[in-house]
Amino acid sequence: MSKSSKWAVIIVAVVIIIAVAVGLRKPKEEIAEVPPESLKAAMVTDVGGLGDESFNDAAYKGLKEAEEKLGFEITVVESKKMDDYEPNLRSLGDQDTDISWAIGFLLTDAVDTVASEYPDLKFGLIDSVVEQPNVASATFKEEEGSFLLGVIAAKMTKTGTVGFVGGMEVPVIEHFDAGFHAGVRAADPNVKVLRGYTGKFDDPAKGKEVALAQFNQGADIIFHASGACGLGVIEAAKEQGEGYWAMGVDSCQHHLAPDNVMSCMMKRVDVAVFDITERVKDETFEPTHYVFGLAENGVGTCDKTSDHVPEEILDEVEKYREMIVNGDIVVPASYTELEAFTPPAA
Amino acid sequence: MLNADLTPKGVRGVSNNGKDLQKPGEQMFRISREQAVELSIPIVAVLLALLLGAFLILFIGRSPQEAYSALLQGAFGSKRDIAETLINVTPLIFTGLSVAFSFKCGLFNIGAEGQFIMGQIVAAWIGFQLTGLPTVIHMPLAFLLGAFAGGLWAALPGYLKAKLGVHEVINTIMMNYIALYFSHYLVMGVLKEPGPIPQTPPVVAAARLWKILPGTRLHFGLILALGAVWLVYYLLFKTTLGYEIRAVGINPHAARYGGINVSRDIIIAMSISGALSGAAGAVQALGVQFRFLDLFGFVGYGFDGIAVALLGRNHPFGVLIAATLFGTLARGAITMQSIAKIPKQIIGIIQATIVIIVAADEVLRRLLKSRSPGTQASVDAGEVERDGE
Amino acid sequence: MESNNLADITIYIALVVSTLRMATPLILAGLGGVFSERSGVVNIALEGIMLIAAFMGMLVSYFTNAPWLGVLAAVASGAAVAWLHAVICIKYKSNQVVSGTAINLFSVGFTGFMLRKVFEHAGQSPPVAKVADWTIPLIEKIPVVGAMIGKHTPFVYLSLIAVVISNFVLFKTKLGLRIRAVGEHPKAAETVGVDVFAIRYLCVLLSGALAGLAGASLSLGFLSQFRENMTGGRGFIALAAMIFGKWTPYGTLRACLLFGFADALQILSQTLGLTFIPRDFLLMAPYILTMAALAGVIGRSVPPAASGIPYERQK
Repeated sequence: MSKSSKWAVIIVAVVIIIAVAVGLRKPKEEIAEVPPESLKAAMVTDVGGLGDESFNDAAYKGLKEAEEKLGFEITVVESKKMDDYEPNLRSLGDQDTDISWAIGFLLTDAVDTVASEYPDLKFGLIDSVVEQPNVASATFKEEEGSFLLGVIAAKMTKTGTVGFVGGMEVPVIEHFDAGFHAGVRAADPNVKVLRGYTGKFDDPAKGKEVALAQFNQGADIIFHASGACGLGVIEAAKEQGEGYWAMGVDSCQHHLAPDNVMSCMMKRVDVAVFDITERVKDETFEPTHYVFGLAENGVGTCDKTSDHVPEEILDEVEKYREMIVNGDIVVPASYTELEAFTPPAA
Repeated sequence: MLNADLTPKGVRGVSNNGKDLQKPGEQMFRISREQAVELSIPIVAVLLALLLGAFLILFIGRSPQEAYSALLQGAFGSKRDIAETLINVTPLIFTGLSVAFSFKCGLFNIGAEGQFIMGQIVAAWIGFQLTGLPTVIHMPLAFLLGAFAGGLWAALPGYLKAKLGVHEVINTIMMNYIALYFSHYLVMGVLKEPGPIPQTPPVVAAARLWKILPGTRLHFGLILALGAVWLVYYLLFKTTLGYEIRAVGINPHAARYGGINVSRDIIIAMSISGALSGAAGAVQALGVQFRFLDLFGFVGYGFDGIAVALLGRNHPFGVLIAATLFGTLARGAITMQSIAKIPKQIIGIIQATIVIIVAADEVLRRLLKSRSPGTQASVDAGEVERDGE
Repeated sequence: MESNNLADITIYIALVVSTLRMATPLILAGLGGVFSERSGVVNIALEGIMLIAAFMGMLVSYFTNAPWLGVLAAVASGAAVAWLHAVICIKYKSNQVVSGTAINLFSVGFTGFMLRKVFEHAGQSPPVAKVADWTIPLIEKIPVVGAMIGKHTPFVYLSLIAVVISNFVLFKTKLGLRIRAVGEHPKAAETVGVDVFAIRYLCVLLSGALAGLAGASLSLGFLSQFRENMTGGRGFIALAAMIFGKWTPYGTLRACLLFGFADALQILSQTLGLTFIPRDFLLMAPYILTMAALAGVIGRSVPPAASGIPYERQK
């Protein structure tokens, strides 16, 4: 007992002495260093962190662009645990970050709390909505973009079976799942859709196994919305070779396997982050809820789609796109809506 | 038959069970050379680890001075920083105690992670489901039921170990995954708040842990954690049950011949261990997040708890110190990222280095002392029952 | 969703193939555990060793474009990390669980850090060359069996061969006898002239090499890149499989196959649209099955008597 408490005393003493020494010395000189004209933009990732092949990476891309094109000074804080969201946002607030981005719906509560503590600073939130005078929220109609991929898959399949691989069954993944199913059904109701979930977002080997099971059951095109598990889905298509396809998600994943990635569902988190960050610079920032759908070019198919998909199918996809933009098709975003969904005669 | 070297003698360090079995409180304040060496080991470990971290920071072209001052500023720079540090420390105290407690009984509870999850979701559930209760009833109820859930989650592996001899390491690992998917099932199903986010409704005000430092989110959980340190100390070293549990931990066969009900003690020890991890989850639900958010993967408090327990040499007070160190580094990692732009992995490497140096304390001991101490045999914590026949 | 024809043979082929694939890293790492613990050293660092090896293997394959060189590097780095574990545990007689835990902690930080340092990219490495599949000449031609075991990534075959060799070494050779003696009665072993330290060093290094191979199977066999935390707890599952298999190679193999099978079944059930079971319970199934199998069938498992206890040389 006394041995342990002696340790305690010694360690705590040493730490405090250093802390005080540094704390007393540091802060004053630093204030003047930051040139006043450079605006600060930053982001806090969710637990997925950078390299999630999903919204964190996309947001980072947008932030990078803001650094290069708009001269923002940028910072990224990766969250290790859920409990870190609030303090991570606060640490950005403490540094007078002009706009702090919170990436992912898991940060909703944290943004709600912290934004009110820093009324003079601005915050952005991806994939969820917080109504506060200094918060801009951006959500995406993933189902609309996924619908187009469903159309492509249904038109392109040679086997009459396509697949969907999800990460975990949560509402945002349901958007992809339901939209894709609806697209397939609209384009060709006879095409069968297999569905599988990995139960994780960060295990590519698992993603590959689920994809292989679907290929084995006759699917030849698989759309994934499973974060880094998708690397395995693409690997599976690559390994199966010609005639087997993966469809990427969030950003263009074509480069991972140029011969086997047919198309990707672009979710332009980068555009949302860049645009709203730019508004901070232009002083046109509005604390509203931005919805990015097909009409806003917030979701859609990637440029590489035309590498593998013939013109006439792209034309048809374009037709569906217009119908969605016009409101002729309301794409289902959940399983219940999907059940009620009847595709219009195209 | 077992040979003699299975009986620990002159045990030290992590497995100082033998020493603990002697009456406590007989140590005096005189610090011998040997004790001075013992005391300096963790400090040297921390300093060496920070030194290694400094090299890595230089390696990526950043300034270690800037990085570490950001770390300290983040951990202790203001009242709120200190509060945040303590918030990080709190669950680690619980999970560290949890793992340490199981080690004391010769069990390896690698399932703190799963017990944490169960504690968290049950506490959140009680926290939002019941309404109209006064705080003095609702808050302890939610906390205790959370702890209870963690205890139950660990009792099953304990039972299987005691009655069927199934190794607890397997079952606690399996139950981590089961807890993860089960919590996802609940939070997407019966416990889900309507809306697009996979989370439970918020915990009502009456069930939230009191704030104990105005202007910060520091909550009563810290006091509970400190209480748990004392409770575990008391339980282990001042009660018959604690004596029995430690006896089982040292040698279950001898304990059995000595008339101790080994099966019962194993189940009890696992349950208490699980309850401590459950309490960690409950504290996070009722004091920090105020709801259960879908996890998408393990949070890590349970696995960090293993490191904390081992670093704290399985002693409640050692756990307290180790948790403080780990929590401080975790908090400092945030500001190291946001101010000094240092990747968070550096902190992981520093933490690992501290543990590894403490693990290899014999190396330091030999360096610091002229000659090595006598025979030592540690009882490994992961390995438990030996049937000598 | 329409139900598939369960009489369709391809389903069963797929199940076997998938089981083998998913069991492979577990088998390799599990064997590593067997050697280490049989000699008396607990190695819970399997997870961390796999992760570091997966990274090093990828790195070498990336720079040399020679995947087998990458595999070698993975094995070597696995052994190197295990050597550290061995020195700490055997020479300095430190607590083996502490050392293992530290290595696991270290591996996550180290690989994440190096990934960013080398590729300036978080999350995953660029795609690298992976080892090509092996086809087994005659067997490949046999119907059904050929489809099941005729063509796989080499790691599948290596893991099965490793099981046979390990079993032979442990139970049919003098070395194996020594290993087991050192793990059960180190003092007695030394009395008859066995070098306890040498045997333990050898076994821990072997354990690291096998775990390294397991890591390579992930980054250079099943996938062709490194991803942070790509081991995803497989080292711990392997540890469980080793105990499940009562510290024997064949037992470990059986346990890994059971686990792989349960996982394959779970994935197949999803693919076939068996949606009357909630998906989360399907995902849990492998873990529940393992527990049930242990409680119902296997029962008591007894580690080597001296496992976990540092050995002090006799005068």
